[in-house]
Amino acid sequence: MSNKTVFIARHEELPLKNNSTSLFLQIMVAIAVFLFAVTLSGVLSINSMLQNWNESILGSLTVQIMPSTNINSEKAMAETLAHQNKALEVLNNMENIEKAQPLTDKQLEKLIQPWLGDGIDIKDLPIPRIIDVKIKKGADIDFMDLAYKLAQATPMASVDNHKLWLNKLIQFADGIKILALSILALVIMITSGAIFYTTQTSLGLHKYTIEILHLMGAKDTYVAQQYAKRSAILALQGGLIGLAIAIPTIFGIASLAHQIEGGIIGEAKLSSFDWLIIVGLPAFASVIAMLTAYYTVKQTLQRLM
Amino acid sequence: MLSSTNKPTSIIEMQNVGIRYGQGPEILSDIKLSLRKGSFHFLTGRSGAGKTSLLSMMYLAQKPSRGTVSVFGQNVNFANRDALALLRRKIGVVFQDFRLIDHLSAFDNVALPLRVCGMDEREVRKRVMELLQWVELERSIQATPATLSGGEKQRVAIARAVINRPELLLADEPTGNVDNDIAPKLMKLFVELNKLGTTVVIATHSEKLISDFAYPRLHLQNHGLKIFAPNNSAELGGRHV
Repeated sequence: MSNKTVFIARHEELPLKNNSTSLFLQIMVAIAVFLFAVTLSGVLSINSMLQNWNESILGSLTVQIMPSTNINSEKAMAETLAHQNKALEVLNNMENIEKAQPLTDKQLEKLIQPWLGDGIDIKDLPIPRIIDVKIKKGADIDFMDLAYKLAQATPMASVDNHKLWLNKLIQFADGIKILALSILALVIMITSGAIFYTTQTSLGLHKYTIEILHLMGAKDTYVAQQYAKRSAILALQGGLIGLAIAIPTIFGIASLAHQIEGGIIGEAKLSSFDWLIIVGLPAFASVIAMLTAYYTVKQTLQRLM
Repeated sequence: MLSSTNKPTSIIEMQNVGIRYGQGPEILSDIKLSLRKGSFHFLTGRSGAGKTSLLSMMYLAQKPSRGTVSVFGQNVNFANRDALALLRRKIGVVFQDFRLIDHLSAFDNVALPLRVCGMDEREVRKRVMELLQWVELERSIQATPATLSGGEKQRVAIARAVINRPELLLADEPTGNVDNDIAPKLMKLFVELNKLGTTVVIATHSEKLISDFAYPRLHLQNHGLKIFAPNNSAELGGRHV
């Protein structure tokens, strides 16, 4: 019989393809990647949102002028505006301040519109005046000094550098991030655990074949590589399925978030780099599965044989 | 036999070796043995005398309960798993129960020792095809063990044992299941390998085989090992054989 005329397909020494645990592993990884992708998109969105907040807030502060308590509304408005002008004078004379701009009546009306509705004339209302202050890029403002100078000029002025508000939001966002990262860690642990136990079960099933391979001179690495390769392929397939379900889910959540009024969640957007990380999750799951299977086999064989 | 002053290159060296399973009595006690490179021996003894246990120590599937075993000059008591794997690649084994992998074809079973060494697949194919033709199994290359007869399985097992041209060949009843016309051919293969330098140990019950071939005999009796010259002529006193 000629060698050239016979086609001989090489069969895997360990029949891992027909393993009953394969489907279980694929489903586990698909679920893990789905949860991983959705949670990660949340974490990355929160990060980008915090970054936006930081960038917009670090270079600005707000000076609030409390309204005069005069019963005559016209006089009260005139007094309040006089206090605002004094504060503006102080602010414009400070060297690190680029611009101090009082909000117009229209802008103030827009601010209170969600609470009081349309058609409100703010001249009739005892509401504070707001001065939006832009700080020069890279400049460092001594807030205590600024507050002191404003207090000297007018007792009705107060400074809000947004830090208190921002810190509370950062704390809230950090809490969500820790929760999300805990979920991610849990997902990785559950997936690795599933791979660990399915690999151990499979090693038990194929003990006879592995013994023969050892007797033929196979190192543990030879067996481990076959398991690692199989696990990597299964995890990649499962991961792609999980990702295929996760992407429309992320878009769905994003769409719902954008419908929430206030614009805070609307700033939570994923960059191209963030998407690259999410799309790379099946490959990441595949590597985790490969390494888990490889070291499980090495460790188990040393213990069993 | 060589004198102790002119110590030969030993393939296997055993010093005061004992084997026991669990807390049971020793199956083999105080075995002292030194197998010279290129030697040919029959291993005999009654059923349960410990032939398979002695062979399993030689092919490194088992470590001794006491004493030391050196294979190819390496003390296996302290060898790590990778080192043992490399030593096993120099050893061909024909198991009494064949130990073929059921889901693999005859071709893939014979190719195993070459593939675990990472040999190029074209060379694997060439060598396996040649050997399967030699053992007259060229028509069964794709057959799985379940579809082969006892004799055919044994020929596959023998082909697998010799495919990597081992330095040490261990066979447990290698001609027990083959037809009368095939048995001499297989023995001729072992003899030819021995002439090329392979050390051979064959465990057998066949008096015919022992009488047809003039090789010394390692005989297990009363948990110990005695060495006889060819055709039972005399017990050899030394342990270098």
